[in-house]
This record gives sequence, C-alpha cells and structure tokens, in this order.
Amino acid sequence: MNHLTRRRFLKAAGATGAATFAGTSFAADNSHGSNGAHIVVVGGGSGGATAAKYMKQFLPQLRVTLIEPNATYYTCYGSNWVLSGLASMDDIAHTYDSLRDNHDINIVADRVTTVDPDRRRVHLQGGDSISYDKLVMSPGIDFRYDAVDGISESDASEIPHAWKAGDQTRLLRDQLEAMPNGGVFVMVAPPNPFRCPPGPYERVSLIAHYFKEQKPRSKIIVLDAKDNFSKQGLFEEGWAQHYGDMIEWRAASDGGHVEAVDVAEKTARADSGFERVKADVMNFIPRQQAAQIAHDVGLTNDQGWVPVNQQTFKSEMDDNIYVLGDASVAGAMPKSGHSANNQGKIVAAAIVRELMDQEPLNPSSANTCYSLVTPEHGISVANVYRFIDGTQTAEGGGVSPSGASPEFRASEADYTRAWYQGITQDIWG
Amino acid sequence: MKIRTQVMGLVASLVALSAAPTVSADLNDEITRGQLMAASCQACHNAAGANKGIPNLAMLGEDIIASQMRAFRDGQREATVMNRHAEGYSDEEIDAMAAYFGNQ
Repeated sequence: MNHLTRRRFLKAAGATGAATFAGTSFAADNSHGSNGAHIVVVGGGSGGATAAKYMKQFLPQLRVTLIEPNATYYTCYGSNWVLSGLASMDDIAHTYDSLRDNHDINIVADRVTTVDPDRRRVHLQGGDSISYDKLVMSPGIDFRYDAVDGISESDASEIPHAWKAGDQTRLLRDQLEAMPNGGVFVMVAPPNPFRCPPGPYERVSLIAHYFKEQKPRSKIIVLDAKDNFSKQGLFEEGWAQHYGDMIEWRAASDGGHVEAVDVAEKTARADSGFERVKADVMNFIPRQQAAQIAHDVGLTNDQGWVPVNQQTFKSEMDDNIYVLGDASVAGAMPKSGHSANNQGKIVAAAIVRELMDQEPLNPSSANTCYSLVTPEHGISVANVYRFIDGTQTAEGGGVSPSGASPEFRASEADYTRAWYQGITQDIWG
Repeated sequence: MKIRTQVMGLVASLVALSAAPTVSADLNDEITRGQLMAASCQACHNAAGANKGIPNLAMLGEDIIASQMRAFRDGQREATVMNRHAEGYSDEEIDAMAAYFGNQ
C-alpha cells in the first residue's frame, strides 16, 4: 500500500470511527470501545470465520463484526459422511458462540443486501446498516442453472444439489434412504471451477459404501461435465477395489455431458440427445460462480469470480474490500475449506500490517484435501502454495501414492477425521 | 492541491501519533512471516487435531520441528502426507516456522 492511500485510510478511519458510534444501532459496538479500526466480515464460513478470529488474535484492539445469517453453519466438507450415514448433521454443525464469547467478535445474525463502497457501509436485510474501515467478504458460491435446460434453482427441492450443506444435505440423505435396493443414483457433476474439486467423487464413493452395506443391487452413474477430475487415479483404484462395477463414471466427451434434465421424470439427457439416463435419485450439482453479493458490489470478472491481489486477497476493484474463499480467483489454490482457512489468515495479517503501515508478507501456506473412498480408505492431495509472479503457485506435494497398503489408506482415513477436528477448531473454536 | 496534500499528511501524522502507542502496546511484535506460515500449520496441528493423533506443534520444540521437517522432506522419515508438505518448503521457511513454535 502506498503512503497516500495509507494517509487517506487513517484520515477516514478517524472520521468513520466517530460516525460508527453516532450512527449505528448496534449496542454491541459500544462494548468494543477502543480506538481500533472497525473490520466487518461478511460470511461465517471457513474463510470469514477464520479471518475474523485471526484478526482479533493478531491485533486485539481491532473491532471485528462478523455478519452471518445462519446461527448454525454446516460444513460442506464432511457432508458426504452424513449422506452415507457415517455421521450426523450435528457432527458437521458449528456455531458462533466461541467467536463471540472467547474471541470478542461482534456476531450479527443478518444478511447483507447491499454494500456501499463509497460510504463504506453494508446494509442488512433487517434494515440496519454498519460502517466499516475494511470489509472482508467470504460469500461463497451461487449456482448457475442456465447451462442445462429443463432445471432451475426451484427444482432443488426435488433434485437436490447438496453442495451447500444443511437442508439440502438432509434432503438428499432422505432420498437415498427411501430409494429401493436396485435403484439408480445419478450424479450430474459440474464443470471447473467449482467448490471442493474431489467432493463429487468422494460423494459417490461413500454413497457406494452405503449401497454396498444396505442396498447392494443399486447402481451409481456419474454424468460429468469434465473429462478428468481431482485424484482420479486414486478414486478409480479405490472404486475397483471396493465397489466392483457399482460406480460408472462417464466423461463429458464420452456421453457424460448433460444438455437437459427432465425434473418430473428424473431423467438426464446426455450425449447430444442420444442418451437418456433415468434416476431413482438424482443429485444435480450446477455450474458455479461467486455468490450474488459479490456481483452486486461489482467485484466479479467476466467469468463470475472475484479477481484479487493474490498476495493479500484485496479486491482488484476496491481498495477497502478483501475477498477470499471459494468466491475468489486464487491461482492454483483449490476452492476448498482448507484454502479458505489459509486465506482467512493471509487476509487477517494483510489488514493488520496495512493498518500498522507495514509491507504485506509473502507467506507460504499448506492445503490438504482429504477424501474417503470408504470409512477406512483415505486419500489426499497436498500442496504448499506460494505467491510467485502475481499468482498463488503450487509447490511440492501431490497426491497419495497409488497402490499403497491398506494400512496406509486406513491411516489417511484416520487423518481425514483428525483434519476435520483440527481445522474446525481452528475456524470456529 | 499541494497544500491539501500537506494538510492531509498532517492530519494523518497526528492520527498516527495518537494511535501508534496503543497499537505497539497491544502487539508484542509485528506479525512475522514465520508466524503466518505457522498459522497455516495450526489448522491441523492444534489441540483438537492432537486428540485424533496429529502432533500439536505448540508442544514441540524448535529443534524437533526443524529436524523432522527436514527428515520428511529428504525421505528419511516415512509419512502419509507430511513428506508431501515438507517438499514445498525451503530451509529458510522451515526454520522460520520452527522458531515461531519454539518461542511460544
């Protein structure tokens, strides 16, 4: 940040600091009572909650407000365990109690409707507005149903996406439980880029595990908008090992590309109309883009994602707004909860150092995406990410070895669960 | 324009002067690269992860962390994932992270 901008910020911070106390309707603001800058975080998922927590950790006198409409957050990671009956919704539920009580973060249970970057205010559905010195947005994704005919967002109550955890997870689980033995589960998998690259393939793995135990004559078909996918070799090795021919994956160029869905018939039309695939349960995971609020604020590019300075995750469009998590364009970093967690820390440090008139850091961070092929067969892709020549670049790492022993796979399955406990504690604990 | 910039600069300096002592009193040191990289490790290597078998790095010494990261990286210690992580870090980064944990 250059010095002129720094001066402008300090001047503005002094002015809006006073305005915040005079203008806000939030009594909680007064309890923060210091002269610290006010940072507003939009979205209490992995990215936003981490950013809020680490900002208070790095610079305790900052006033941090986290705006999140849901009192309980269900992680998308781990939701495949729920779909297969390995875990309950409570196991993937997290609240904001600890962030509020132990980390002095002002939690506002509301939804941001608009952001006014010129006045540095966010407006809430409930009617209030809150001023900020710096705004951190971790809004996640929204779905684009326009790429496939015959299905729209309102059909998610019949054909769930289950790609934002919560009621959608419950719905798909209920449908799978109601499905008869011998039924067909069809997943329509999305094109890149999308949240959690190995997620669809872990999902069919664990649903196959459930079928094998409970409904062994059932069948799984994946109609994919892509010709390859994350950890493909390891998944296919595991599928052959545990599920025989139960899972059939069709690449986009080999009949997997879906043009239309008949919702009432639960049928997908693929392969230029030559193929009609009838499902008993269908999971349609749509094409994705940054959440709508990012578009409304004017932060997105032509592809519908948010370009940022990948060293600090400051928006390229606004000097006081940082965007992280799945909504952002982050180079080689996958759209994972673990990436969002890392980015939350990077943003927290970047904001604190900017307020302290210090140069931004150039950190390296580690991401691991674990997936379960069975409850005792875990696989992973792990990399270290470093900011090089303007982009987050993958270093070291790679995927688990192929042909590894059952003990190795079991160990990674254990680490999958350990990772979940660790990272959710780091984010919401 | 020039005068305006100078006035803004003066205002900024006054604000900076009044704000600076509070900031430095609350913050022991500036956030370092080692601290931020160590924060990435802590996603897994914290007390909750330790309950499930991932070592809590805050409980380990600087020398142990630095030597084990090198052993993972150089293939002298077997691992499921730590060898893949270690390959991505330089000596300087390993030492910076280890020093941060060691000084906690």
